[in-house]
Amino acid sequence: MKKNLLTIFSTVMAVSLTACGGASTTGTVQDQSTQAESKTADGAASLTIWSPTDKESVEKWWAEKIDEWNKANPDIQVKRDAIDRSDSYAYDNKVATAVTSNSLPDIFFVDGPQVSYYAANDIIVPLDKYFTAEDLKDFVPSTVAQCTYDGKTYAISATESSVAFYYNKDMLREAGIDVDDIDKRTVDNPITWSELRNIAEKCTTEDHVGTHIIMDHGEGIPYALEPMYISQGKDYINETGDTAEGYVNSDEAVKTSAFLAQLIADGYANIEPITDEFLNKACATMLGGSWDVATLTENADFDWGVTYYPVSDDTKKAVSPCGDWSAAISKDCKNVDAAGKFLQWLMNTDNVATYAAAIAKPATRNSSYDTESMAAYKDYPLSLMVEQLNHTAVPRPRTPSYASFSTKYAEAMSNIFSAAASDHKVDEAYIKEQLDSVAADFAEDYNTYYAK
Amino acid sequence: MIKVNNVKNRNEGTSAAVLVTPSVFLLIAFLLVPMIYTVYFSVFRYQIMRPQDMTFINFENYIKLFQDKDFWQAFKNTIYFTVVVVPVQTALALGLALLVAARTRGVAFFRTMYFAPQLTSMVVISILWTILYNSNPSTGLINSMLKSLGMESINFLSNKKTAMNSIIFMSAWQGAGYQMMIFIAGLQAIPASQYEAASVDGATAFQKLVYITLPGLKSTIKYVVMITMIQAMKLFTQPYVMTKGGPQNSTKTLVYYIYTEGFQEGNFGYACSAAAVFFIIVVTMSLVMKRLTMPKD
Repeated sequence: MKKNLLTIFSTVMAVSLTACGGASTTGTVQDQSTQAESKTADGAASLTIWSPTDKESVEKWWAEKIDEWNKANPDIQVKRDAIDRSDSYAYDNKVATAVTSNSLPDIFFVDGPQVSYYAANDIIVPLDKYFTAEDLKDFVPSTVAQCTYDGKTYAISATESSVAFYYNKDMLREAGIDVDDIDKRTVDNPITWSELRNIAEKCTTEDHVGTHIIMDHGEGIPYALEPMYISQGKDYINETGDTAEGYVNSDEAVKTSAFLAQLIADGYANIEPITDEFLNKACATMLGGSWDVATLTENADFDWGVTYYPVSDDTKKAVSPCGDWSAAISKDCKNVDAAGKFLQWLMNTDNVATYAAAIAKPATRNSSYDTESMAAYKDYPLSLMVEQLNHTAVPRPRTPSYASFSTKYAEAMSNIFSAAASDHKVDEAYIKEQLDSVAADFAEDYNTYYAK
Repeated sequence: MIKVNNVKNRNEGTSAAVLVTPSVFLLIAFLLVPMIYTVYFSVFRYQIMRPQDMTFINFENYIKLFQDKDFWQAFKNTIYFTVVVVPVQTALALGLALLVAARTRGVAFFRTMYFAPQLTSMVVISILWTILYNSNPSTGLINSMLKSLGMESINFLSNKKTAMNSIIFMSAWQGAGYQMMIFIAGLQAIPASQYEAASVDGATAFQKLVYITLPGLKSTIKYVVMITMIQAMKLFTQPYVMTKGGPQNSTKTLVYYIYTEGFQEGNFGYACSAAAVFFIIVVTMSLVMKRLTMPKD
């Protein structure tokens, strides 16, 4: 008995890390002093911001801006903790663990579709007092929609994002494709899925595949692929955000998923794409983000172009992704007015413009495009991203069950793609089964926690 | 004299209590309290973002858990990994230990080489092996070698038939170095006189292994098997970094399942019920293992 107790005790020690193991995988804080006091020693309000760690230019921007604010506002002192976003959900996990211990910072950045999730759970507070309807008129409609939940503005973003179709002109010419025709496409006449498939087929060789599908096993999948579903006729979730049944598992969704899976089954896209596959000339085309323009401009040693997000052959309806990280005030903030005042300043025209330039993403404020920082967005290829944002952008579903949906959908699509890669064929029954499972899991999450 | 002994014992007892107290506090704070909370939360409907709305639901989470096919798939994967990796890794470690146990020139180099993977973070190793396993021959070293031999490339991590075995192989490679060091210590504890006597009697190397080395390492083998099993049951980092539990749930383990349910999907109460069941499974397996390896009276 004594020996058994000892065994149990030693096993407890071994297993114990599991009991609280999740936290160790979440994002880590570069600045260890995560929790700011609400007041500094000299009585000034103190605010802490969490936002994902980013490239050097963005980190530099933050340092300069916070310094500028702190000098001009001795009564409200701000500091920022850059949180490692080591993978697609690590930052969200960091926020989740902070919620359980009531240790959220005053302001934290939230990915666009998570705004509804946090708002529905009262993790963030409305910002309508600080950003009126008049103020929001200067912001592109897609970001306003993404940051609105239940009729209130819960977050505010400086940047937007878009996804478009990139192509390696050298490879396309070599494959005998009319590159001039693709160059001339407009927002009203984008390439269709069958054209995309045709290009991918012709461009697949021993050395490279014809196209690239995002395979991050995380939020990147629902983000980049959603327009295909909408273009085919059905979004992932209904307008009111309370059901996925008949949407993510609709016939249209099965057809869309099958189209994508077929590209993998036929070997036109890699199931395990390498990092920067397009830049490294391992694929001829890709659905890439607006941020890829900067990367390619700086590094590509080949002739490349970018055109509008492809549309379904059946509907020809043009749709493009949007949404980016937005600032929100947390429920644990002790100085909401100070945080609101800071956000008003942070999101002014000039700051939005310089931030957007530093992070290489389109600005959310129309007035920012008149500044020198945004001059590049007046010309192709960046003008194409702005055009998509203003004409075809559709925000991801606004539902409190988005976190659950995103995980399940990404998992289902990964399963569908790996099955296609292994079997070299597409099984629509399996796709339907996977998408049914996503719809069922969504219903369970929504009905358990949010249904009234 | 008795009085002196009593005073001495009392002083020793006080010293022991003082020395043990910090560890006991740490164990209570970081082991017992989280465990009690885990069991407590497991009977609540608890969305991680809505701690204020916790609702007592009795054993509903447990009932749902036992009906969840993903949980059983994760259970199956965890058991498969454990059942395969424990003997493979133990045998590999023993083999390496036998190779490098001899006190000959240059052997320290090999010991260091075999132990080196232990000094590297599992996350780093997982990323490196993800690249090694990449299905594209221009990126994945293993497929590049297969291609140069005229063979078809293999989707090691994106095929449900090969993904778990690929993780098992790299895990055994990474973990064997540590167990090898334990085996070396065990080998050094076997008196050299036994080998000398066996040599005089004309025993072959194989006979020495079977009749002297393995019996001499019995308690070491038990220890290695036990710790390897517990480590294997906790498999998380490799599937998290390399496959995200896929393809088609083939590498989803119990700990990964608990993590995704609790932190990604926010079903904290439900994840706690899975963690409690996981704990019982590991304790049960440890007791069974202990019973099987315990000397019979």
